[in-house]
Amino acid sequence: MIRFSTPWTAAAHVVCIVVSLTMLLPLLLAFGASFKPDNEVNAALPWPTAPTLANYVRVFEELPFARYLWNSLVTTTLRVTGQVALAALAAYAFTRWQFRGRDMLFLAVLGAMMIPHSLTMVPLYIMMAQLGWFDTYLALVIPNLAAPFAVFFLRQHMMSFPKELIDSAELDGAGSLRVLWSVMVPNLRPALAALSIILFLECWNEYFWPLIVTESAASMTAQVGLRKFLNEELGNEYGPLMAAATLVCLPVIVLFFLAQRRVMETFVASGLKG
Amino acid sequence: MGRDRPSLTPYIYLSPVIVLSGIFVYWPLIYTFYLALVKWNLIAARRPFVGLDNFHGVFTSSLFADATWNTFLYIFGAIPLKVLLPLAVAVCVWMCAPRMAGIYKTMIFLPVLASFAAVAVIWLWLLNPIAGYFNILLHKVGLAMPNLLFDTRYALATVLGVSAWKILGFNTLLYLAGLTAINRDYAEAMRIDGANDRQIFRYLIWPLLTPTTMFVLITTVIFSVQQVFTPIDMMTKGGPSNATTNLFYMVYQLAFQTFNIGHGAAATVTLFGLLMTITVVKFRLLDRFVKYADR
Repeated sequence: MIRFSTPWTAAAHVVCIVVSLTMLLPLLLAFGASFKPDNEVNAALPWPTAPTLANYVRVFEELPFARYLWNSLVTTTLRVTGQVALAALAAYAFTRWQFRGRDMLFLAVLGAMMIPHSLTMVPLYIMMAQLGWFDTYLALVIPNLAAPFAVFFLRQHMMSFPKELIDSAELDGAGSLRVLWSVMVPNLRPALAALSIILFLECWNEYFWPLIVTESAASMTAQVGLRKFLNEELGNEYGPLMAAATLVCLPVIVLFFLAQRRVMETFVASGLKG
Repeated sequence: MGRDRPSLTPYIYLSPVIVLSGIFVYWPLIYTFYLALVKWNLIAARRPFVGLDNFHGVFTSSLFADATWNTFLYIFGAIPLKVLLPLAVAVCVWMCAPRMAGIYKTMIFLPVLASFAAVAVIWLWLLNPIAGYFNILLHKVGLAMPNLLFDTRYALATVLGVSAWKILGFNTLLYLAGLTAINRDYAEAMRIDGANDRQIFRYLIWPLLTPTTMFVLITTVIFSVQQVFTPIDMMTKGGPSNATTNLFYMVYQLAFQTFNIGHGAAATVTLFGLLMTITVVKFRLLDRFVKYADR
């Protein structure tokens, strides 16, 4: 550990504390406000003197917010499971065999990773309408099942997988799927867990795609529900709004604290995609 | 590998990802170019071919001029706020003892986890000129909160600021990864040779961080077009009088609010051109700077 002179280190701590508070306080203020009764929402005190769950009750009573959260949970779970399974198969094929067109196909996957959603949304929307998938779970799950980043990420991990383990499994008579499922998957569990969490965050927090393909409580996700809340029902009632914002963020933050270090490392890796 | 029939197996395993990417990424990308050449409102049975009329219509609208100008403002504003500020923060975190650094890192990272929709709602409350929390505090000392989001002078800067707040933790983390990779022995060696703190930063840390900085710069620039969509839609809807809209939000408005698919597709193609240009510049720059770092 190199030591820097005291004034420099002190200045660094001051900057860190100021930035940390700038990041933390708005979230804490919102959290505090979500438990304030009506007559305290406009008070300067950051926390309630008489904490109440009334705001949360209103969120669930005035909008089908429970349904929105449920839609988010179900579609996110289906999508992430599918993404990881399909990406594992593809990454396995890329690392295990030499075959014709391998490099070209890999380039095609990389290319799909570089194309931002903003460039494909108009035709995709039309496609959803024509397939009759508009405002259904299908539109939220199927078009996003192929996750190029996941293929790329798992390929990196599988490439460093010890060949001896695969060879010995084969000597014992295991087929290729069996090798993937019983030898590789158990050993790649940390990478798979980190990847799943990243994909979960991405999907749960997604805003644009659900905004254009959902319409009713049948498929609307919590993020778009928040928008509906803001625009139509309780747009000026900040107590219930902060309660809804808290409900939307909580699952993700809990998940993060369960697997903190791994998530941060994988986030760095996922940032290397563009 | 004999029993595996390697001739076919890899293709079977790859087919879901390849087929899905083809249908839901590559095909729509190509189809956009076709849609840019027709007139359509999503409902009509016919889609008459109109050539470049859509482009003409888009380019001559005042919305396009505003959106393009704002897109550049968002990009240039991103450089100090989303590229340089996180760099300074990362260096500060790195200088602190590891235990404190871990705590700072976690706190700074929290807004990255919160969904942008929720972040927008929270800032709408904080910044509200009447019922907002900041106004209540300012009121105590006899000041009033300016109406940041409905004033054409401040609205874009406010959206930019909120999006910088949201992404700061992510970019800081990228820089920290770059800093961790710096061998601290070099700093020790410089110290033994009598270098002071300023010299260590100037001649060791800054040059070794250049590749990371370039990387953050380029991803931030490309994503700043998309990243501000959520705060624009939640906080201003592109207003007041188009002061906060950008090209991406314009495409959304054209295609999904006025249902002018041709114009929407033409604007998408324009956006595609802009992003391609940035990508080409990006690879040029990366080439130069990565070589520089290797030397």
